[in-house]
Parts: sequence; structure tokens; C-alpha cells
Amino acid sequence: MTDYSAFGNLTIGQYLPYGSLVHHLDPRAKIVMFSLLVAGVTFASSFSASVLLLAALMGIVRLSRTPLRYALQGLRPALPWIAIFATLQLLFYQGQYGSDVCSTIWSWGFINITTCSIRQIGLMVLRLLEFMIVISLLTLTTTTAELTHGMDLLLSPLRRLRFPAHELSLIFAIALRFAPTLAGELERIMKAQASRGADFGEQGRLRFIQRTRNMLPLMVPLFLSALRRAEDLTLAMEARGYTGGKGRTSYVTLSAQPADYLALGTVCVFCAILFFLPLETLDTLIVATVSHNMQEVYSLIAH
Amino acid sequence: MPLTAVGGGELMTPVLRVEDLHHTYLPGTPFEAVSLQGVNMEVQEGEIVAIIGPTGSGKSTLIQHFNGLISPQRGSVTVLGQDLRDHDLDIKRLRRQVGMIFQTPEQQLFEQYVGDDIAFGPRNFGLDAAEVRQRVKRAMEMVGLGFEDFKDRLTFSLSGGEMRKVAIAGVLALEPRILVFDEPTSGLDPATASEFLAKIRELRDLEKVTIIIVSHNMESVAQLADRIYVIVQGQSVLEGTPQQIFSQSDQIRDYGLDTPQVTQVMQGLRSCGRPVRADLLSVREAEEEICRCFDLTERQVDH
Repeated sequence: MTDYSAFGNLTIGQYLPYGSLVHHLDPRAKIVMFSLLVAGVTFASSFSASVLLLAALMGIVRLSRTPLRYALQGLRPALPWIAIFATLQLLFYQGQYGSDVCSTIWSWGFINITTCSIRQIGLMVLRLLEFMIVISLLTLTTTTAELTHGMDLLLSPLRRLRFPAHELSLIFAIALRFAPTLAGELERIMKAQASRGADFGEQGRLRFIQRTRNMLPLMVPLFLSALRRAEDLTLAMEARGYTGGKGRTSYVTLSAQPADYLALGTVCVFCAILFFLPLETLDTLIVATVSHNMQEVYSLIAH
Repeated sequence: MPLTAVGGGELMTPVLRVEDLHHTYLPGTPFEAVSLQGVNMEVQEGEIVAIIGPTGSGKSTLIQHFNGLISPQRGSVTVLGQDLRDHDLDIKRLRRQVGMIFQTPEQQLFEQYVGDDIAFGPRNFGLDAAEVRQRVKRAMEMVGLGFEDFKDRLTFSLSGGEMRKVAIAGVLALEPRILVFDEPTSGLDPATASEFLAKIRELRDLEKVTIIIVSHNMESVAQLADRIYVIVQGQSVLEGTPQQIFSQSDQIRDYGLDTPQVTQVMQGLRSCGRPVRADLLSVREAEEEICRCFDLTERQVDH
């Protein structure tokens, strides 16, 4: 039986009120920290750096008292794609990365599986995992109100350059706020259409046109309701005298505590370490050792 | 008197039976919410059964079991001889037999033309064109929309009430044996609402459709239902005819529900020491009873 509540389980944008150390940090500090970590994940091109990052992230997950399963839940729909990419890389990776240190494990025609391609796959999977954790963690430990407020303040210096900081953070807040609402709406519409005998995704994964057409009974009502909501929201904001960011004060004033600076500092140092330590070399060393051992293993088998 | 149960009661096997049903949303997460914890109910063929209960008591969760949108976690649901825990259950067949009309069903419309939207269900079940046309016609006439007049109208140019009729016709076109309504009259003006209730009764009387209604409107429940189930905090706590249920007004009020206004008036008179019957539900009956008790003739009341 199809589980229609799957859409209600969206992890991104769901705040878990555990009140941990991570929860209490200043949202501005958190936004900067997590941006740094995202940058770290993006630029850490070595396997060793990724492992370090993963360890650090696990530490943060621990600190935030969030169940790890929860932080990773958003990964599930991406799993088939990860599997496909991993297979492609495994089969066709002809990387330029230190080919002198790699050894071939299996080769057939143009397919050439080496220790390097395995390293590459490990790197990719780790990176995806880390991205997912970083992004989930931020939203799992920070309310949308805090996030928006933090972003607004962080961007406020740009206001002098006529950058619409407040408007941008408002758009961001509305998007986050309505993601679960629209997911719930989608679930409701799905159930209504399923009651009229509609099929979703049970007709073979390759019949794209049919599958797209099947989405129509969902998309039309969903868009209509989103538009209706947008209209209601506009009216509600107008009615409460919203006139944009100019001269707007805030109910909550953020003030950074020593703990915020400490956390921020730790993350900065950590990212610097990732960046400046010769982790690439460490990688080469590991791969070389493994490759070398592989060759020994092969020669043993050959004997 | 519309308040008599149809059929011989014990002699028939029920078309729907719920035994000790439990349901928990998002089990094992911080959002875990117990919705049902032991619901029992039975519905006989051709009955109109109402389910009442305060907001959040699990009514909506309960009815979503009836056509397999939610499968039983614990306990059992048997509909028209089909056990919903069965893994080989033909879910499409079940959905054809049990029509589900959600709250504000007009929000599920998506086709450009009225006729196409009503035909969506029958087409999903693979009926041929002539049969589909026949069913659309019949369904439209049942809800009081002329076939020739309305079938080629633009769906989104209709009024709210007309759109709801279209949505209901879309479910009626499946020709279900059991029809489940969630708040059928919410958001309708009184005249349209009573027109709808009359239609629902007509469906049972003429088409022999078994009807299950979830409603907060005690007036309409009292007039329409043969039997009522009261669900409180996920448990079925009371069962009986409208007279039986609403005569226990203290208990009903304890549950956060209300009795029909007529019943309240009669009970008020009784507590003033007037010997009127307090188990009356319709204005007409109350009028006669008050006239009898105060030695008035109907003519005097009318003027």
C-alpha cells in the first residue's frame, strides 16, 4: 500500500525543539558557521578531509541531541541517484588523480576499476552525506524566525548598497514556512485523487509521459491553493500594516555571547585546518599503500 | 419519521467493521502523535451513521482507513468482506466501492471542463466511454447539475457551491456502495447546506448507498443519522441513536461537544419544571410537544 504521509515527513524545515547547546547559539553565528562548513564540504577535495569533516559533523549532531536518523532522513529519496552515480563512476572513472599510485582491480575493455575510482566514490558519497547533515542540522536546530532574523541582520550592512536584505530574508522565511504546509496540502490532494482511483508512480518508472500526466491532478490543485494562500498572506500582511523593511524594529534583539564567538572560532580554525593541512598528500599515501598491498595480494593469488 | 434504522439489525453482516483500531502518526520520531487508541464500530448496509467528536479526536484518521488510505497499525478494519490488513487486497476495487468526500472537496478539481473532472474517477477504473458518459450524466443529475447545461462549462468559472457539487458528482460517478463524507456542509450557506443533507438522504433512500458522515454540526447529525458514534481522544466512547446520544447531554458536554439547540431548549424547559419530553431533535417535533404541554393549539403558535 502506498504511504501518502511520506510528504509530511519532510526533514528540511522541521525544527526539533531539543533546547541543546547548538539550539541556543546565536542564529547569526550559526548561519556563518554552517556556511563555512558547507564551503568546507565543497572545497575539501581529499578523502581524508572528508572523513575529518564527517567526524566533526557527527560531533555537532551529538551536541545538538538530534537523532542521527532524523538528520539523514532527507537523504533517502536521493539514494537511487547516488547509487547510479556511484556505479557510473566506478565503471568509467578515468581520473587524472595520481594515476601513478593507483592499481587496477578489474578491467574489461574500456572499463577500468582502480583503487582511485573507489576513492572517488567514497569521496562522493561522503560529500553528499555531509551536505545533507549540514543543511538538515541548521534547520533542525533553528526556528525559521531565528533564521530569518539572523539572515536579515547579517545582510543589513548591504542595505546601504540598496541590496534588499529584509525583502530577501522575508522571501526565504515564507518559503521555509510554507514548505511543510504545501507538503501537507499535497498529501491531502493525493489522498482525494487516490480515492478517485488515481495512480501515482505505480505504472513503471520509465513511462515518463504517463507519469507526468498523472501528476496533473496533483499539480493543478496544488498551484491553485498556493496562489490562494499567497493572496491571503498578502492581505493579512497588509491588514497588519506591513510596509516593508524600512524603519521596522524587532521584538527579539540578538546579542552574541562568548559561547557564540567560541563556536564560531572553533569552526573557523577547523576549516582552516582542512584547508591548509596537506591532506591531499595523506590521501595519496593511503591510496598508494592500499594499491601496493593490492598488488601484493594479486601476486599472492597469482602464485 | 426518518429516524428508524433500516433493515433487521442483527440478522445482517455489517458492511463495515472496525475492531480495536489503533493509529500513531510518525511513530519513533519527536513528532509522534497518538491518534486512535481503540476504536470499535459497525455499520450495516443502508444505514446513515454519523461520527462526532471534538477536534483532534481522530475522526479523520479513522475514516481514512475505510478506503485504505491508511492501513491499520493495530486492530482490524473489514470493509465489504475485505480485510484491510490483507496484503493481496485489491485496493482499487476497494476505492471504487468506498467513495470518500473530503472537507472542501472543490479544492481537488483540476480539469478544465466539468464533465472531464467528473469522468476522472470512472476513467481511472477503466470503464468504456459510453459507460463513463452514462455515469457522469447520472452523477450530475444526482447532485442537481443539468448534464447538457453543465458538462462543457469551465470548472473554475463555477461558484463555490457548484464546484462542490461537481466534486461530489466526481465521487458519485464511481457508484460506490459506501459513501464517506467529512464535514459535507462546512462553508456552505444554510439553504445550500440543507439541500445537501436532503441529497445525502436521497442517496440512501433511492440508491441504497450506506453513508458515513463526520460532522461538527449537531443539528444536521441529529436529523440525518440513524446512529451516532462518539469518538473522544481516539476511542469510541458512545454509540446509539441520536435520541439516545443527545439525551446524555451532560456527558456530551463533558466531551467538548454540544447537543442540538432544540434538545437544549427542551431540557431547559424540563429543568424549569415543565413536563416536556427532552429527547426531541427536530423543530417540528419540539413545536408539537410544547403546544401539547402548554395547551396551545398550533394555530396560536403560527400567529
